[in-house]
Amino acid sequence: MTRSTLITASLTLFACNAALLSAAEPRSTGEIAAMIDAATEHSTIRVPAGVYHGRLSVQKAVRLEGGGEVVIDGGGTGNVVELLAPGIEFRGFTVRGSGSRVEMEPAAIFAGVGPVVIEDCRIDDALFGIDLRQASGSTVRGNFVMGRDLDPGRSGDGVRLWWSHDCLIENNTVVNSRDMVFWYSRNLRIVGNRVSGSRYGLHFMYSHDTLVEDNILTRNSVGAYLMYSQGITVRRNSMTRNRGASGYGIGLKDCDDILIESNAFLANRVGVYIDNSPSSTESWGLFVQNTFAFNEIGLLATPNTHDNVFTSNAFIENEEQAGVHGRGALSLNTFARDGVGNFWSDYNGFDRTGDGVGDMPYEPRSLFENLLASEPNLRFFLHSPAQQAVEFTARALPELRPQPKLIDPHPLVRPPKIVAPAAEEPSEGRLAILAISLALVGVASLTAWRLGRDPAPIRRERNRR
Amino acid sequence: MTTLTIEAGAPRGAACLSPPGAIARIARREFRDAAASRWFLLYTIGFAVLAIGVSFMSLAGSGSHGLAGFGRTAAGMLNLVMLVVPLMALTAGAGAIAGERERGTLLYILAQPVSRTEVILGKYLGLGLALCCSVWLGFGLSAGVVAWRAGGADVDAFLLLVLFTCALALAMLSVGVLISVMSRRVGIATGLGLFVWIALVFLSDLGLMAGTLIFKLRVQEVFAIGVANPLQAFKMSVIVAMNASLDVLGPVGVYASRQFGGSLAWILSGVLGAWIVTPLAAAIVLFSRRAPA
Amino acid sequence: MINAERVVKKFGRVAAVDGVSFSIEPGSALALWGSNGAGKTTLIRSLLGVIRFRGKITVDGIDVRRRGKLARSRIGYVPQELAFHDDARLASSMAFFASLRRAEPGAASAALEKVGLAGHERKRVRDLSGGMKQRLALAIALLADPPIIVLDEPTSNLDAAGRGDVVETLRKLKASGKTLIFASHRPDEVISLGDRVLVLEKGRLVSDTSPAELWPTEKAVQTLRLDLGGADEEAAAEILRGAGHAVHLNGRGLCVSVSRERRGVPLSVLASRSIEVRNFEILDDVRREADGSGPKQALTAHGSVR
Repeated sequence: MTRSTLITASLTLFACNAALLSAAEPRSTGEIAAMIDAATEHSTIRVPAGVYHGRLSVQKAVRLEGGGEVVIDGGGTGNVVELLAPGIEFRGFTVRGSGSRVEMEPAAIFAGVGPVVIEDCRIDDALFGIDLRQASGSTVRGNFVMGRDLDPGRSGDGVRLWWSHDCLIENNTVVNSRDMVFWYSRNLRIVGNRVSGSRYGLHFMYSHDTLVEDNILTRNSVGAYLMYSQGITVRRNSMTRNRGASGYGIGLKDCDDILIESNAFLANRVGVYIDNSPSSTESWGLFVQNTFAFNEIGLLATPNTHDNVFTSNAFIENEEQAGVHGRGALSLNTFARDGVGNFWSDYNGFDRTGDGVGDMPYEPRSLFENLLASEPNLRFFLHSPAQQAVEFTARALPELRPQPKLIDPHPLVRPPKIVAPAAEEPSEGRLAILAISLALVGVASLTAWRLGRDPAPIRRERNRR
Repeated sequence: MTTLTIEAGAPRGAACLSPPGAIARIARREFRDAAASRWFLLYTIGFAVLAIGVSFMSLAGSGSHGLAGFGRTAAGMLNLVMLVVPLMALTAGAGAIAGERERGTLLYILAQPVSRTEVILGKYLGLGLALCCSVWLGFGLSAGVVAWRAGGADVDAFLLLVLFTCALALAMLSVGVLISVMSRRVGIATGLGLFVWIALVFLSDLGLMAGTLIFKLRVQEVFAIGVANPLQAFKMSVIVAMNASLDVLGPVGVYASRQFGGSLAWILSGVLGAWIVTPLAAAIVLFSRRAPA
Repeated sequence: MINAERVVKKFGRVAAVDGVSFSIEPGSALALWGSNGAGKTTLIRSLLGVIRFRGKITVDGIDVRRRGKLARSRIGYVPQELAFHDDARLASSMAFFASLRRAEPGAASAALEKVGLAGHERKRVRDLSGGMKQRLALAIALLADPPIIVLDEPTSNLDAAGRGDVVETLRKLKASGKTLIFASHRPDEVISLGDRVLVLEKGRLVSDTSPAELWPTEKAVQTLRLDLGGADEEAAAEILRGAGHAVHLNGRGLCVSVSRERRGVPLSVLASRSIEVRNFEILDDVRREADGSGPKQALTAHGSVR
């Protein structure tokens, strides 16, 4: 909540400055280039406030400071700012007006070499936001990228890394973009970013040995999509309401040695989607202390999925707690480690020994879900009483009961605490919903009271009496 | 002889009420009777308790994490609403005319200076408003639980849920009134109402499910048949209101979203509207042709 | 005031009312006379426009079939037994009907006053006695002061005292210029209230006459209450009706109206069919100056009379 307040505050600051600046006399980026030419290596250049038109190519290791009062407007062609020397720091600028031809991949800020630092910048009206190509060792921190209002598939990436290893991507905010995407980049730290309204919040392509922590990924098509990558740790992230075309909190495709720990997957279409991960029998996937709650499907896996271990996770009130994409079961995966299973909100066993572990295994069998697997069109009847009728029938007639989809031999009776950051501030809607509560009760009571009284004529009589 | 001279010659106060006036007075009377009746109180309390229960259960586990619990509460309520509200509305509607016919009070009210259309519309509006009050109360209390336990909620979606629930109640009431007009006795009317309830809530969906499995119905067929059921139209309306897309409902939902896009909400509302207007209109026509006792 | 032309109402193939025509002058009182099933109630419902029928009825010049609502605003209706929401209190029932009939403010309590129910406003309808219910129905009919009062056997469920009250009230109403139409099978009521009598039989109008002509020679008509000691009263009633007597059943026994001179006839009719009359009781006398010996044979067929 404090972070979001900060972001809101800084946004307001940006907006105010931009408004102030637009009134100022237009200037050319040539002025900045001239300042850079005049400066020595590693010196700091404080660019005077104003709106600078034109593109800017920085080829000397200088520290450029915009102080939040400088706008660079590329006017709609190509990259707006290009950072082409190692050691450049680019801080506190508003950059806008990149080109729009997708095949040229024009970006607001392009770095062709590393390390560079791109910090506290705001990017508007650009096809790609920040594009790092072979810029290893760079830092991208505290930037705000607002994508163009395009269909996510046709727009550019908010942040893109290409062959850029050992980078820190921290506290950036990306809205309405395609992806924050990492191609062939190793050993990254991706911490505290927020991505929303985009296609894939975080997108990994052949990017290994990376740490993903404390990010908030909401209302994207997929919160984080990990593809063909190894050795990624995903910890304390919040994936909420990712329900676009794919609608996964996290998708794993052909990924190995992945640790998914203490994340919250809330109200996504699918909490975690596993497609052939791990891809070989030597590698593993480990899910610890995650919360899967209120998703349409908590965990969805392709039938061949194997060798994943789930322990101490909480599966709470997902419409379908765990399912298989197509026919089959999850039996090649393990749902307990060292006698510690997972919490399942629909577990109806008990814990007589009081050790926090249920005495009977958790074995979900849902006829309706099985039917869904064979005839996806039946999903149309989800959320209707007929669905309950089918389950009830299956319970009443044992011969109709399907095999369990998975077995958790040691289910927990209490869910572990959620430690991931909250994606949404609860206080915001609370007053409104409280007001609605009062309004509805009030209207109902008032109507009943108004209409429930005797009509006027006779009352007047009675009063007179 | 013209009307004017008749009315001039009539004693004072003998001219009759305008149709809206008569409807309003009968509606008010009906509302009072409904609100004071035992079944209504029972339903209201039952609905409120269930709604609060669903809110509690749906929010259990999300704890203080601040997940806006409403999407979930709404989903839980969807099931509850689809079970309870049609039952309430159908039985209330079924008793409306048949009950009065059986007790002989229908003849008496029709002997007053009111038309049959006014009587049936007045009863419909009175009962409809009573049902809406019951729904408001239930949702209002559950919204209180959401505010207390979970905090945030999607206010627009919640209001739309309330709105569509009222529409569903009115549609089912309309069917109930039609049943009532056709039935001579309350017992028969209530029985028919229960049958329609089971048919709409369970049988039609189960039949369509079986059809989907056996005949491998295509998505457009499943949608076209399914949407005719007011309960499915209601369910989809709520899901569209909360999610803006029907992808939750799998291939059929995706098809509907793609095929109809922005007009989907209007189509669904149209189906609900038709279920309100058509049975009521049929009830009015039928009622004007039937003997009151 | 009221004009009926060739009114026909069929239920299935049975004609409940079959080609009845009549008319009534303002301020007069018309009795409908006939046994159960003769068509009195159907005719009254047709008059109110609450059932569909063939033919034409106008009330105050208003066609009840086409403008039933307006026609009903001219008519106050008192049913055989007030069927109304039992849980409602008098006050709220009165208020409802007052607003429905567009009565003046104060009309409700005035009407209650008129029928002697003032002070009972807080009572619930179900707690009223039969007589009070009937007076309540009358009070509702009097709201908005309609020129016509239509009553369907208003006294049939009342005891002697209740009947007396109602008849007295009606007499006053008639005196105040109201037009009355009432169904009855009690000669005493017909004689004391009616200016004219329509005699109905199986839906047909067999006579349009005056009470004096219908019972020209009688000194009095009496009502006997027969105690059959638990025998089938319905069957007995049918037998007596078959013998041309006016019969009705109520909770206390079987009542048959008969002229003073022929009191023994019902008893012998029943005896001839092996139904024993254990006891009988003479309920009341109709004080009326007349002469002659018995009711004229009223059941001679007449054509419909205008």
